[in-house]
Amino acid sequence: MVAGFFAGTIHGLANLAIVEPYLDEAIGIENQNLFASGEEDDTVQFQVEYESYRIWQKGGQVLAGAILGTSIGALFGIVFALSRKILPGNHHVKKALVLSGIMWFTIYLIPFLKYPANPPTVGDPDTVVLRAILYLSFIAISGFGAVGFYQLFKRLEKSKRIVALIGYGVFISAAFLLMPENPDEVTAPLDLVNGFRATSVIAVSIFWISVGIILGAFWQKYNPDKQIQTNTTSKF
Amino acid sequence: MSQSRGITITKTGVPIYAIILLAAIFVFGLFVVGYDQGHLFSVIMGETAFEELYLHELTHDMRHAAGFPCH
Repeated sequence: MVAGFFAGTIHGLANLAIVEPYLDEAIGIENQNLFASGEEDDTVQFQVEYESYRIWQKGGQVLAGAILGTSIGALFGIVFALSRKILPGNHHVKKALVLSGIMWFTIYLIPFLKYPANPPTVGDPDTVVLRAILYLSFIAISGFGAVGFYQLFKRLEKSKRIVALIGYGVFISAAFLLMPENPDEVTAPLDLVNGFRATSVIAVSIFWISVGIILGAFWQKYNPDKQIQTNTTSKF
Repeated sequence: MSQSRGITITKTGVPIYAIILLAAIFVFGLFVVGYDQGHLFSVIMGETAFEELYLHELTHDMRHAAGFPCH
């Protein structure tokens, strides 16, 4: 959790540095659309209120990163504690980085490829619940699928373990094709959307690398595996 | 003749209560950042929370940047 908190804070700061310009641009387009439709007037009062809540949102990003990081760090801690013996490497940082790479791929990158992140201005509010269910479902399908094939991986002889990897590939490809598409059209400029998505992937990847390094370093230093020294006496 | 022997036992099991606690923290944090639309504050604020959306606004930028559908 502590590792996740720090990694999440790094994630929030990375977002401020590289994703925020795209968010500002997208919200600027949203505002222009509001003015054009007559829903809002481009007044000083609007600008004051806008600046006020944008400060709240930007500042909140670091706090939200810490909260999200703590929660994902909790999940990462569970999975690392249960799987660390089978992870390759003789150092806990290496083991944690291998695991963070696997989790980045299965519960972030694959769902992202199916349902990529979108900036403000993209997305119909009427479909937000459906999109949230689809995204979470695909994360769960990919994550639990990976756990299931990991169980198979453990039970197979080393020479046959490739079967489990291929099995996961077939399973997730089928899920990818069968899951419904995002129902919303992307109406924002493609340069903006692509730039936002690229920087979003970089920032999330920074999180996963950070959480792997930090948790691995903590585990290496404090070694929570309990060691009980037992003395026995025998007579010969 | 007696001989003293030392045996080191390494316990590597993860307590079930720790797993449950961490899983609860994971679900709660994910809900706060990814999905709350006023639900948590509505416990105290009532229906107003669904209009004010304090948590939604606080997590707005991270929600977009982390890939969650926001609005």
